[in-house]
Amino acid sequence: MKKRKSQLPGDILLVLIMILVLFPLVWLYVSSFKSDIDVIKWTPHFFPSRFVTVQYAYVMKAIPVLRMLVNTVLFAGLVTVISLGVDSLAAYAFSRMRFRGRKMLFSIILLTMMVPFQVIMIPLYMEEYRMGILNTIVGLVLPRASSAYGIFMLTSFFRNIPSSLDEAARIDGMSEFGIYRTITLPLSKPAFVTLGIFHFMNNWNDLLYPMMLTSSAENRTLSAGLAILVGTHSIKYGPTLAATAISVTPLLILFFAGQKFFVEGIATSGMKE
Amino acid sequence: MAEQRMVSAGQIECGAARRRPAKRSGKQTGTRRSQKQAYLFLLPSLAILTVFVFVPLIGAFGISLTDINIYMKGGSFVGLDNFRKAFHDSRVWNATLNTCVFTLFEVPLQVFLALFLLMFMMRNRRFDKFLRSVFYLPYVCSMTAISIVWSMLLDPNSGMLPYLLSKVGIQLPNLLGSPTWAMPTVIFVSVWKSFGYTLTILSAAALGVSPSLYESAELDGAGRWQQFFYVTIPGIRDSIGFCLVTTLITALQVFDQIYVMTGGGPLYKTETLVGYIYDRGFQTAPYNLGYASSIAVYLFLLIAVVTAVTRRYSFGQDDEL
Repeated sequence: MKKRKSQLPGDILLVLIMILVLFPLVWLYVSSFKSDIDVIKWTPHFFPSRFVTVQYAYVMKAIPVLRMLVNTVLFAGLVTVISLGVDSLAAYAFSRMRFRGRKMLFSIILLTMMVPFQVIMIPLYMEEYRMGILNTIVGLVLPRASSAYGIFMLTSFFRNIPSSLDEAARIDGMSEFGIYRTITLPLSKPAFVTLGIFHFMNNWNDLLYPMMLTSSAENRTLSAGLAILVGTHSIKYGPTLAATAISVTPLLILFFAGQKFFVEGIATSGMKE
Repeated sequence: MAEQRMVSAGQIECGAARRRPAKRSGKQTGTRRSQKQAYLFLLPSLAILTVFVFVPLIGAFGISLTDINIYMKGGSFVGLDNFRKAFHDSRVWNATLNTCVFTLFEVPLQVFLALFLLMFMMRNRRFDKFLRSVFYLPYVCSMTAISIVWSMLLDPNSGMLPYLLSKVGIQLPNLLGSPTWAMPTVIFVSVWKSFGYTLTILSAAALGVSPSLYESAELDGAGRWQQFFYVTIPGIRDSIGFCLVTTLITALQVFDQIYVMTGGGPLYKTETLVGYIYDRGFQTAPYNLGYASSIAVYLFLLIAVVTAVTRRYSFGQDDEL
């Protein structure tokens, strides 16, 4: 009982922070249903005088939202699936196999984690132009099909899986690929879900990268397309709010549907063993 | 964990030593085959990273030695002129300072806040699980979206927060328009967005700490705080290191929130290195990509040094690989 009592100030603090976190998000959704006047008037009210959908109607008309949604799902989805496969292969080699240059290669890959996108953005653009994949889905997916972060994270995860299992399989004559596929992968499901959501989210939210590598509206991702709307109508608060709500909602839905996997996923297995 | 790995490595070495007489003939072919296999596993990712990261990176160094502009005009070799110019450019030093200020406040604040809140969430009640999800919500949203929302909330003419605070007698200045307050505000919004991610990683690690350690600590008479400081924190050291390194790298590359909220202003008080690179390359005539690249190379070296130092101190265990 005494312990419970000492928890109370902590709980109050937690609730305060919770309100601080939730308030702007709730405000965004509520305000996206305000009329232009309600958005900019002083004194501001949390709730609109009347719930209207004019801002959404305006945004839907101004840009091909559905097309962009498809592009975004394709871009983020393909990057996630391909990079998980490619990176887990590399991580398996780094965590389970001995080969010359392992330490050096791993350090070099870690180093690429530190390369800000802005450093390679100009050369990347020129390169894609020469390869003729600028403004295509291939051109968007390929550069992201492997990531240093993914290799780094999966390598640490694989290293924490006890190697007794694959040593036994190796003695039984199983190939390295067989061990990777039948032992390491199934044991790493939580890491895959975590990393997968991470990739999907980051690519969904990315702005500069898809904006730079695509040039026509029908090839744009949602975030890039909306950013252009925001850019050209930067003074109009109403449509900006609706556009922001549209760009954020799919990920929030995904989070609510998959949060069990996400939070519990890392919780039950991320750092165990 | 570390001990276990060390033991198994030791066993492997013992095995190799015992087999030594047969090693000459047997090992070489075996090793060569397994080496080849390892490279096959690495091939896809190495190919992609080479074409789309290493080659552009080298390209960036090359471009920094030219005066090429955004229309691909110019492009004559100017040697180290860009670097000399950057060294005497006061905006480079200003941007370096701002980037360092941002990093030195944002990273510790985020990790400390996460650890501090974790301290109250250690019992893993239903409420704690719920809070973890709530705190994670901002991280799910894009930095652009978050920055737009906070700019509007803080807007001195129509913002909700200046109004609410004025009702309790606090006159909020135009935070994002003030040379004094713009940077702290940007740091606040960044911490607000990302602390939930750090918290999720740390609490996952904390739940993985063996319960028997807590039990023995309790037997020794350790209270809840003592358990947190002497069992939890040492137990999640690796995860704290991981969070420090990743948030540090992200912080040094800060761009989105500043681009949306202040555009580097007022009076360049929030202009960071990436922001300055973007400005010189894409926003301000003569769009000198060569000069922008030279600052990018400088940023890259800065990040490389900082990360190398941090990694050394926070990931003792990684030296093994």
